[in-house]
Amino acid sequence: MIAQTEYSKEKKVGEGTYAVVYVGTKQSNERRIAIKEIKTSGFKDGLDMSAIREVKYLQEMQHVNVIELIDVFMAQSNLNLVLEFLPADLEMIIKDTSILFTQADIKSWLLMTLRGVHHCHRNFILHRDLKPNNLLLAPDGQLKLADFGLARNMGSPQEFLTSNVVTRWYRAPELLFGARHYTGAVDIWSVGIIFAELMLRIPYLPGKDDVDQIDVTFRALGTPTDRDWPEISTFGTYNKIQVYPPPSREELRRRFIAATENALDVMSGMLTMNPHKRLSPIQCLTSEYFVELPEPTIPSELPKLKQK
Amino acid sequence: MSGTFQTQLMLSRPYLTRGQIKRAQQNTIPDRRLYNQKRLSVFKFLCDMCIQFKFPRKTLETAMYFYQRYYLFNRFESELCYDVATSCLFLSCKQVETMKKIADIASMSLRLRNVLKLTPEVIDNCKKRIVQLELRILETCCFDYRVNNSVHIDEILAKIAKGLSLSREVAHLAWIIAFDALKLEILLMVPQHTTALAALKMACELTKGASWPNIRYSLFESDEPSVSEAYFDLLNFFINAFDLTDFRVNLPEDLRNTGIETFMDLKKQAGVEKGLKEPDNVSSDLSLTSEWNPGIRERRYVLSRKRLNDERLAKSITKREKT
Repeated sequence: MIAQTEYSKEKKVGEGTYAVVYVGTKQSNERRIAIKEIKTSGFKDGLDMSAIREVKYLQEMQHVNVIELIDVFMAQSNLNLVLEFLPADLEMIIKDTSILFTQADIKSWLLMTLRGVHHCHRNFILHRDLKPNNLLLAPDGQLKLADFGLARNMGSPQEFLTSNVVTRWYRAPELLFGARHYTGAVDIWSVGIIFAELMLRIPYLPGKDDVDQIDVTFRALGTPTDRDWPEISTFGTYNKIQVYPPPSREELRRRFIAATENALDVMSGMLTMNPHKRLSPIQCLTSEYFVELPEPTIPSELPKLKQK
Repeated sequence: MSGTFQTQLMLSRPYLTRGQIKRAQQNTIPDRRLYNQKRLSVFKFLCDMCIQFKFPRKTLETAMYFYQRYYLFNRFESELCYDVATSCLFLSCKQVETMKKIADIASMSLRLRNVLKLTPEVIDNCKKRIVQLELRILETCCFDYRVNNSVHIDEILAKIAKGLSLSREVAHLAWIIAFDALKLEILLMVPQHTTALAALKMACELTKGASWPNIRYSLFESDEPSVSEAYFDLLNFFINAFDLTDFRVNLPEDLRNTGIETFMDLKKQAGVEKGLKEPDNVSSDLSLTSEWNPGIRERRYVLSRKRLNDERLAKSITKREKT
């Protein structure tokens, strides 16, 4: 079938290690779209794995809280991914001090994030790079999980996974210990940290490097013991770390001053050290926190970046 | 058409019928015998690579799918086929997450092909060819990651065997049978779980005391024609080329007497050969009959027929409105 070219690239909006991103228009319905042009030359290991993963996992996922991969096309021997155009992300909102947001807004963003994560997990996909920067916001206020460049299938029991995933500040303790087998619980940890960051408006556990991250994490949340996480001593680095007591409920209340008891319960549930005991997306979504008042803000009424 | 260029919309069809495969190969494979011969030696070569790198069977399976798929739409030249195979393996490593550095793959590939002087220049050239072919392979698969993603013959075979409460011996025998399926075009015709069902059925029939349960294939998201296609493809391979099978050399102790006759008996019992229904339009199917046109500058790949039809509809409406 021959037709006129469908996508126009109008403006370059960003450049990463493996792709150049343009804003454009889908001609047939005038929809605004983002085009990721994958750089194919200059890479020693051929087509970048992130591009492969992005196509692989977004191709079949369709959910209001996951970015839509609209099309894949080749033009002049370059691979192009056409994605939904999403002009803002949660990091921008958090950092913009002129924007005030309420507990209801936080609840709404957390709800949408958890829905997206639940959708990934029920399709046996781990995102492995959740952070405010990868939670994009549509003009109608919907939050969408994006950047599936590190995503992968949940491994079978005998498969080894790499622990070098997730941006440092959002990395779960099992990853900090170098676990080669892990589950969707790594994503939930990241969501817990994002939840904390939304309440504090600053990154919750900003480690300076990988070693410091271990220290920062356990200083804030307590060093896990083999009483509540029996497998912990199998990690080689466990014996070398400093032991901190877990924070009391009162300390948490003081740190997260506006949080309700139910909010603290969900956050602590997501930030449980033992991944087996950490809350699942379903447990989070059905928790009291989402039932109690205030109701989550309707997406279209959430705070937005001011137009420049 | 000044100022614009042409674009082509391609619908992914990851599985084709035997007739469709033959039709596509008419454009690309001038010497069928040579192609088949090379396919077996390429399989052996890929096996050796997988053994050296300790890759699981799924890496080999995916590489063989890519290799055969590539030659449906690209001209077969025997000199290049090992480079294509190497690139297929490299890509399949990415697909099934058994990563290896391109330099390791390239030098192993050259070593197994007995290239004596492995200078950095020779390795670099090999790497270049691997990368050049990579995108082309993905294009022939229409960037369709629904296949070769999470279901692989050997893994799903064990799961189905467990689901049907088949014995360990039957499952093991099916696992050996299924290895030979990787050499066949059945990879391009039916999805992996269907091949697994066919292998399990055959294993039941070969094992004394075991019988294939009378199940509805829809329970396993498959159907009778697809399983039959795989079953007869395997059966015919064992009958026509028993000496080339890995099954022969890996037979369990109590099945040592299995030979061509055994499979001929199975075929007799199975009755008339059945399989996938051939569509009527094979000879007029443009995506199979037309050769690759390098002049088209933009190719868009879609997965669902609905999407394709919607766009056609939208286009014809805009056209009508314009006129």
